[in-house]
Amino acid sequence: MMVDTTQKSNVKLHVLERFREVNSTFPKTSHLLDYKRSGNKVFGWLCTYSPEEIMHAAGILPIRIIGYSQEAELDDGNAYLYVNSCSFSRSCLQLGLGGGYDFLDGVVGGSTCDGARRLFDLWRNYIGTPFYHVLTVPRKYTEKAHALYYHEVAQFKQHLEEFLGSKIADEALYESIKLYNESRKLLRQLYDLRKLDDPPITGAETMEVSNASFRMPKEIFNRWLKDLLEEISASGNTHTGRSRLMLIGSVLTNPEFIKSIEDQGGLVVADELCTGTRYWGDPVVLDETKSPLEAISRRYLNNFPCARMFPSDERFNRIIDFIQDFRVEGVISQIIRYCVPYCHDLPLLTKRLKALGIPILALDVEYGTSGSGQIQTRVQAFLEMLEAKRK
Amino acid sequence: MKTLGIDIGSLTTKVVIFENGSILSSVITASGDEPEAVAKEAVRSALRRAGSSFNDDIYIVSTGVGRKSISFSQQQKAITTCLARGVYYLCPSARMVIDIGAESTTVVKLNDRGRVRDWANHDKCAAGTGIFLQQMAKLMQVPVEEMSKLSLQAKSGVEITSTCAVFTESEVISHIHREPPTPKQEIVAGIYLSVISRIMALCKRIGIEKDVALSGGVALNSGVVNTLEKEIGFGVLVPDTPQLVAALGGAILAEENVEKGSN
Amino acid sequence: MTSFQNSKIDTIVRVCRLIMRMNRTRPNARPSEAMYYQMLTNYFTRLLNARENGDFVAAHTVFFPAELIYAMDMVPMHTETTTWMTALFTGECSDILEAGAQLGLATEICTPHRGLAGAFALGSLPHPDVILWSSMVCDNTAKSGELIMELCHCPGFFIDRPFNDSEYEIQYLVGELGDMVRFLEEKSGRKMNWDKLAEIVARMDRQIELIRNINELRKTVPTPFHSQGFLELLTIDYLFPGQPESIEYLETLYQELTAMVQEGKGAVPHEHFRLMSLFIPPMYLIGFFERISQEYGAVSVIEPFFTYWGEGRLDRANPLESVARKSYMLPEARMYGPMDERTLNSIVDCAQQYKVDGAIYYADVGCRHACATIKLFKDTLNDIDVPVLTLDCDVVDQSVTSEEEVREKLEQFFELLEDR
Repeated sequence: MMVDTTQKSNVKLHVLERFREVNSTFPKTSHLLDYKRSGNKVFGWLCTYSPEEIMHAAGILPIRIIGYSQEAELDDGNAYLYVNSCSFSRSCLQLGLGGGYDFLDGVVGGSTCDGARRLFDLWRNYIGTPFYHVLTVPRKYTEKAHALYYHEVAQFKQHLEEFLGSKIADEALYESIKLYNESRKLLRQLYDLRKLDDPPITGAETMEVSNASFRMPKEIFNRWLKDLLEEISASGNTHTGRSRLMLIGSVLTNPEFIKSIEDQGGLVVADELCTGTRYWGDPVVLDETKSPLEAISRRYLNNFPCARMFPSDERFNRIIDFIQDFRVEGVISQIIRYCVPYCHDLPLLTKRLKALGIPILALDVEYGTSGSGQIQTRVQAFLEMLEAKRK
Repeated sequence: MKTLGIDIGSLTTKVVIFENGSILSSVITASGDEPEAVAKEAVRSALRRAGSSFNDDIYIVSTGVGRKSISFSQQQKAITTCLARGVYYLCPSARMVIDIGAESTTVVKLNDRGRVRDWANHDKCAAGTGIFLQQMAKLMQVPVEEMSKLSLQAKSGVEITSTCAVFTESEVISHIHREPPTPKQEIVAGIYLSVISRIMALCKRIGIEKDVALSGGVALNSGVVNTLEKEIGFGVLVPDTPQLVAALGGAILAEENVEKGSN
Repeated sequence: MTSFQNSKIDTIVRVCRLIMRMNRTRPNARPSEAMYYQMLTNYFTRLLNARENGDFVAAHTVFFPAELIYAMDMVPMHTETTTWMTALFTGECSDILEAGAQLGLATEICTPHRGLAGAFALGSLPHPDVILWSSMVCDNTAKSGELIMELCHCPGFFIDRPFNDSEYEIQYLVGELGDMVRFLEEKSGRKMNWDKLAEIVARMDRQIELIRNINELRKTVPTPFHSQGFLELLTIDYLFPGQPESIEYLETLYQELTAMVQEGKGAVPHEHFRLMSLFIPPMYLIGFFERISQEYGAVSVIEPFFTYWGEGRLDRANPLESVARKSYMLPEARMYGPMDERTLNSIVDCAQQYKVDGAIYYADVGCRHACATIKLFKDTLNDIDVPVLTLDCDVVDQSVTSEEEVREKLEQFFELLEDR
């Protein structure tokens, strides 16, 4: 199969290189080290159910805990979490045990899945960080569930205030909400560019931006992303591909994985990853009837859901909306081994997509993979099948 | 009273005769297809060297994978218990022993009285064993002893990413047939690194503790020892006849039993 | 659609009857054992005849509060127990796992839950009127219901049980239980019998008390309860929460054990090793474990996460709240909750009170939530000088480990204990 090579040469995006620099030096980026040196606190959070605005409003820099961005030896992770925890949690723990996150002043997460819950248990026992908090995250969207989650968020805020010895004012929360919503809005603008027939940015490039979004101060990130959007619009870059694809499934941070799909001519135009769309998905909606804390808690529970939530159709419908909005022709599901919530959803989602005539390629992967030979072969066959279907 | 420890491994059978706290004689021989006959012959020859014979009153403890395949031992003991006792006698400061056998690797943690505290072994995995190293030597067409020397000349060693013996083999083959071929010493160093990384993973499962001693025939391979020391970050203890550690442990346990009996 | 009579449930009934007949000829069979098999026979016979009797069948996954089903006069079907008892007795383990795989369920989903869907798809299990499940313990229990709903074309209800046991979270769970009762009333046209629920709750309180008392007896040296006996206690909790026959069984067992303690009789001829069991042994090796217990004088004296209930009492005046609180007192639920000092200390406490020589961790490869605690438990127990054997296995899949492999590991472990 020949890959279309008639693409004109695209110009290099300089701001993108800056994002790459952040990603390649994470966790110990110059921003974070500078921040610490000036006496500020940095917290690590795990899972998109940890309300970042509250930490930010308290003057803390929240960054996301993730593992090695490549497939790595996980001897310590295996010894502590056993081999049947997902490689994401093992990778995070391995990085933590090796001192990768020794600058953190606090760790925050939710009771989202077994892997995350156990990672926290072991983190607390074997790594230890001054502040530690796990929020109970309901699995439903009922009013009662919202009330419980609000209670949890309020408890978290109170715990944080006790730890810092100072109150978090509503004004500060409003400011943080504004800042974070700005990030979300800019990321949406970036993603919207991919709705075009020949998008000016690839899926792998987009991942460099979204990865950096949870690894650096939002104040700087927003400035850079504005610059990038301008640079893209001036560049006249375009990317063409054999088929428009959407990437779904477990946590993914290695852009090389997306690049390996795009190198074969697949155009990744959308995703439902917790490191992509599910991270920036919905804004915090403020109105007169809600306190800023309530607005935050609503947003985090209602956001584009993880497969842990019930009913699963909430997630499936969002995926289907994206398929329509981005004119997706095929879906690639990449599920990390032992990522059980996604494993359970797969047969149900496959059935729904089949009814809509959308083919799905289901890949089992280990966290950090850049796409093995076997994966590439399967992707190639999938792309050929999509092309044959079009004829 | 003399006591005897016999370690019946999948490749070799080892015998140690012990009396009043010291080793009188030892024998190492290939295990072969008839363990009982081989074991008897090995015991006979060890007894002869110790100036004794089968007719004398002697207490025998057998260990190793074939410990249940012979009829003449008074007691059978697990390899873990024997390794701990044997290494405690030879290297009293050791708190961990890594035994690289022909078909399996066993790591034992012991206390300050030579008792097992914990252990871990690879049982379903060939990568990281003696036979695997032999296969690799055959594949490379280099004698095992030569491999050891070669590895010491390597710069960094190639990276072997597979953790499974079967895939490692195909990776090695691709290095040999590459144009130009990867230098032999780099491949050998890569193989050693991959073996040691399997063993390190096993050690980490129970937690590494100093001092670490090495036993089994592979311990005589200075290339492997060197690689292990580099990876573990400190020097390891290698007894003079590392193959005999478990058999010696058996003989010591036999002596303890005799003493217990006479009390 | 599989009817009840066409399902494989009758196999369980036949095997239980066979065991009862065999036990009658055994000289020192326990009366409680006969009661236990009679209870199983009744449970599955009721299920078998559910359609003929016009019963409403509520299928539910493990650790689900079946008290509510009993109080509404419905017939419960404990899906994991029913699936795996059927599979073990018919020898169809690999068939139902294969059927699960064909539905698109990955091998990383634990065998018990992969098998559930497989058993429904194969028709080994009958289609219930409703499927109920919860996030009581792990992601698998939380996620397994929706596929079953589609396979059986039946409605379902998911109980969202919060992670911690704060007052606020318990009240949320009470709300969830209330919503489920309304759901069941609507689907079945039956009403919750609150008086009956109060009675069941009162009996469940007694049931927990009896298990605590039995555990007290197990502290005795030699311990009176046979090595794998705790699996009986487990099944009683799973299938018969707050049922009159549970009380009768447990009281009989308690008397039997009391008599043994008074006579100084132990469960094994020469008690040598008192063990703590962490997680559950592979079901297909239960007979083997019994034999090796006799051989080596090894006996399980406590299972912190299977028989050791958390503190607290149930109150018949607040039945729904009691059911909610019970879900945090459940021994299993304590293992799946936050692994904090409170829980780790309780293991140490168990080891000391029950004079444990060593612990066996049955590392079920499918249970990632349990296996991820191995290192924590091992370090905790090693600190008080209790060695831990980790036995890699799968609770139902025989291809993961063999009897010989287990024997080799156990021998090494017993030698280690002996040598100390």
